Amino acid sequence: MSDDRFEERLSEVARDYHRPPETPREQMWTAIEAGRRRRAAPRIFVLQPAWRWGLGLAAVLLLGIAIGRMLGPQTTSVSSAPRPDTVIGGESDVAYAVAATQYLNRTETLLTGFRADARAGRVDSLFAEQARELLSSTRLLLLSPAGRDPHLKPLLEDLELVLAQIARLPGGRRDTLDVDLITQGMDQQSVLTRLRTAIPAGPASAPRTQGAL
Amino acid sequence: MDERELIARVRAGEPAAERTLYDAHVDRVYRLAYRLAGEDELARDFTQETFIRAFERLDTFRGEARFSTWLHAIATSVALNGLRKIKRFRSQAPLEAADGVASGVRSAEPDLKVRLHAAIDALPDRYRTVVVMHDVEGYTHEEIAETLGVEVGTSKAQLSRARAKLRESLADFAGEWAS
Repeated sequence: MSDDRFEERLSEVARDYHRPPETPREQMWTAIEAGRRRRAAPRIFVLQPAWRWGLGLAAVLLLGIAIGRMLGPQTTSVSSAPRPDTVIGGESDVAYAVAATQYLNRTETLLTGFRADARAGRVDSLFAEQARELLSSTRLLLLSPAGRDPHLKPLLEDLELVLAQIARLPGGRRDTLDVDLITQGMDQQSVLTRLRTAIPAGPASAPRTQGAL
Repeated sequence: MDERELIARVRAGEPAAERTLYDAHVDRVYRLAYRLAGEDELARDFTQETFIRAFERLDTFRGEARFSTWLHAIATSVALNGLRKIKRFRSQAPLEAADGVASGVRSAEPDLKVRLHAAIDALPDRYRTVVVMHDVEGYTHEEIAETLGVEVGTSKAQLSRARAKLRESLADFAGEWAS
């Protein structure tokens, strides 16, 4: 078989690869307008590049402290330890910001995957497991200084509801009605759009085209 | 209306100009997003995110490249980053889900199209992107290079390696290719 023949056949057959349906331009435009309106509202965390480095270093430092405390002798009594919500304005705030960002990233991945799989009718038990894990983080964040942020709090409350619904999905065969109700609730509250808005933009990655990213 | 003028009107905050700009480019962006994602829901998410970012950052577009190239750079970045996240998540999926997919491919004699599509799916992201853009959507190497921020030679080399991998994956169809 010649290379030319191979490439010719490849091109013919490849045209059907993930053949797109008609562009849902009106629905997407509505979603884009809604997304832009939400993003025009004040951002929860607007991190400058220098802050990202600072947060990264602080996260590493705090991780070290946490590991040290876990592995070291437990000499401090519980009653003498400061309550998380009383430590404001210091390293604790940075730690909460880092924790919140990581949490929002993980939740966005979970909900994006859940919604895509739900539409394809193939939601599996992994989503419920992950939702249970994230649910406890949501509660912790709501009880932390992050939960007192007037922009973050309503989002965390909506996420808690969605995650609780996913976590309660029964194992084995899924009831499509339950799954549909969850995705409808997510869409009505624009949960994913608000979640993405709340996640600080990461460092630019792949394309280098001028000013694109 | 000239595109440069249209962009100036979008920058000036004219909603009608935003919609015109969107209408002019949405089909190609959605098609690319769909070809990469293979799912309507994800393709919509990626397309929407692309336009939201583009409108937010339009001030950073200096007009050195074509607007479509700039927009497609955002689209490929959004789609590839999004797919990476989803892939990481799905890679933790229980074996039962993976079994279904695998057995579907192995059982019954799969036709060439199914095998080729599976082989494209299995390509590393950088190769798959170039195959989709060049062989499926008809972008030139120059457009791919600008969009992905690589040299034209890199785009050509990646396409060549991707085709070699596809050829290897489809070796047992050699007779059919030749016919």
